[in-house]
Amino acid sequence: MEMEKTGAGVAVLSAKEAFEKLEKVGEGTYGKVYRAREKATGKIVALKKTRLHEDQEGVPPTTLREVSILRMLSRDPHVVRLMDVKQGQNKEGKTVLYLVFEYMDTDLKKFIRSFRQTGQSIPPQTIKSLMYQLCKGIAFCHGHGILHRDLKPHNLLMDRKTMMLKIADLGLARAFTVPIKKYTHEILTLWYRAPEVLLGATHYSMAVDIWSVGCIFAELVTKQALFAGDSELQQLLHIFRLLGTPNEEVWPGVSKLKDWHEYPQWNPKSLSTAVPGLDELGLDLLSQMLEYEPSKRISAKKAMEHAYFNDLDKGHL
Amino acid sequence: MEFDLENPFENLHSDAVSYLFLIESDHTPSQNHSQTLKARDLDISVRRELISLISQLSCALDPVLSYLAINYLDRFLANQGILQPKPWVLRLIAVSCISLAVKMMRTEYPFTDVQALLNQSDGGIIFETQTIQRMEALILGALQWRMRSITPFSFVAFFIALMGLKDLPMGQVLKNRASEIIFKSQREIRLWGFKPSIIAASALLCASHELFPFQYPSFLKAISDSSYVNKESVEQCYKVIQDIAIEEEYSSALNGVSSSDTPINVLDHHFLSSESQKTNGITVANTIAVSSPLRDLKRRKITGCGCGGNNPTIHNSRIQFSHAKESEK
Repeated sequence: MEMEKTGAGVAVLSAKEAFEKLEKVGEGTYGKVYRAREKATGKIVALKKTRLHEDQEGVPPTTLREVSILRMLSRDPHVVRLMDVKQGQNKEGKTVLYLVFEYMDTDLKKFIRSFRQTGQSIPPQTIKSLMYQLCKGIAFCHGHGILHRDLKPHNLLMDRKTMMLKIADLGLARAFTVPIKKYTHEILTLWYRAPEVLLGATHYSMAVDIWSVGCIFAELVTKQALFAGDSELQQLLHIFRLLGTPNEEVWPGVSKLKDWHEYPQWNPKSLSTAVPGLDELGLDLLSQMLEYEPSKRISAKKAMEHAYFNDLDKGHL
Repeated sequence: MEFDLENPFENLHSDAVSYLFLIESDHTPSQNHSQTLKARDLDISVRRELISLISQLSCALDPVLSYLAINYLDRFLANQGILQPKPWVLRLIAVSCISLAVKMMRTEYPFTDVQALLNQSDGGIIFETQTIQRMEALILGALQWRMRSITPFSFVAFFIALMGLKDLPMGQVLKNRASEIIFKSQREIRLWGFKPSIIAASALLCASHELFPFQYPSFLKAISDSSYVNKESVEQCYKVIQDIAIEEEYSSALNGVSSSDTPINVLDHHFLSSESQKTNGITVANTIAVSSPLRDLKRRKITGCGCGGNNPTIHNSRIQFSHAKESEK
């Protein structure tokens, strides 16, 4: 009773009262996503609903830490803004968390697919602008010690009118550990995963995100995934076929990684064979993003300074 | 990703400091709320009581924990004040703030042990887990889930580098003293409304004025020249912190608490010597305090809180505990 009185002073609406769900727009690894309207303001938002896996601790520390990170990052223009967090209960009385994000009308996956369907290429300046924004957003995250670890076109949100690109799903991989059983129907994407991760490296570095950025870069040019494996082994073989099978010479320490085996020996091919239509400067930047040795991969900040972006008007980005 | 008061982000890069200045207001009771709170005497006394509760309940834990918990408390009070200042509600708020702080910090304590500790303390009130969780949810909502608090500690290293003391022993000495000042001044209601970066700058200037008076002018210039700092705010904040430091020294002198022979204490001694030439009353009071049986009583109370060890910071916590007890009489 006293608790209720204490709570009465807080103008806290439950998510159901505060928002009108308009449609389900996705079901990610971490829960359902709705397009919704905030009743008080009429503003359209993306509502990401996720169950908390509580025990006697209440809100898990990991969730608390990661959501707090998202709240701190939300002022950068290239990170999707987490506007609010609301805690509620579902029909079974279990605690549910609603993450209220700014709404973006499309994502890079849909954007690329739309060009693939029409048979047109994405204009080079558009590719350059999107890539610059992506590097800038990642540089911001890395500058604050934040890795994404699951970069792919699906979680790079876009506004079609302004061609602005924003990074989504930051930190959610750790904030909401979900039993894998529940989502066995969904294959976790391997296509953008760095080789050191595929080979079982336990220590991640920011370079894993740069590899993903490189794969996305190539995909923007060709409209097809660069390395489209359907298993971890196949993913590695796709990579080795193009870049050559790594050895201790090009990647010191590679043979000591946990999941290293003997592989067919391929020689490296020119990137231009896999990414026709990308100019020399672009190919140079791409090759630096796809360096085998993580410590030699270009950083996001350095990538922004690459000559490939010299002729891009960066004033509004 | 564990949380560290000095690095609200992990692995903070030098170019990320500007972002801390940008968003620190999200983690500070605002000026308006500060004025509002000051107008409500009830809330000021409630705050004092809550801080005592938090310090008491968390005295066996890392003192940084109680700092973070009090930060959460202040931001919660700024958001909505206290509607029902009943003892059990205050205790529930204190317990919940500590619980959230424990979750945010890197901690080696199993959560159940912390919970048992909180519930076993004086007062005999034991809360159900669900009750604490509901209060935690209230606090999280009021703080908008911004639990990686940006505090003065987040800015100390930046200003020390600005003063040209990065990686120098002098910088470490200043940092230690400034941290001490920041810990102590958290209780002071007059600092509400100052941004964490302003408090950090002011604490460092107080420390440098105290420890390195000849270099003080150049340090002041280095900080004042920074485009991140509002000079007038620093001046105002500096005065408040200086007042707090002076009051602290009087209080320490009267209690005869300081007994170790450290460089800082030597300075204190010099201060007292000077003052005693002007006011005989202080000398008399000091003598009485030293010989009074009350001192032994205070010692026993301090010992009873279970804080052991030689950690200077823990020692400071004991001083705070003692002060808290006195304020309750």
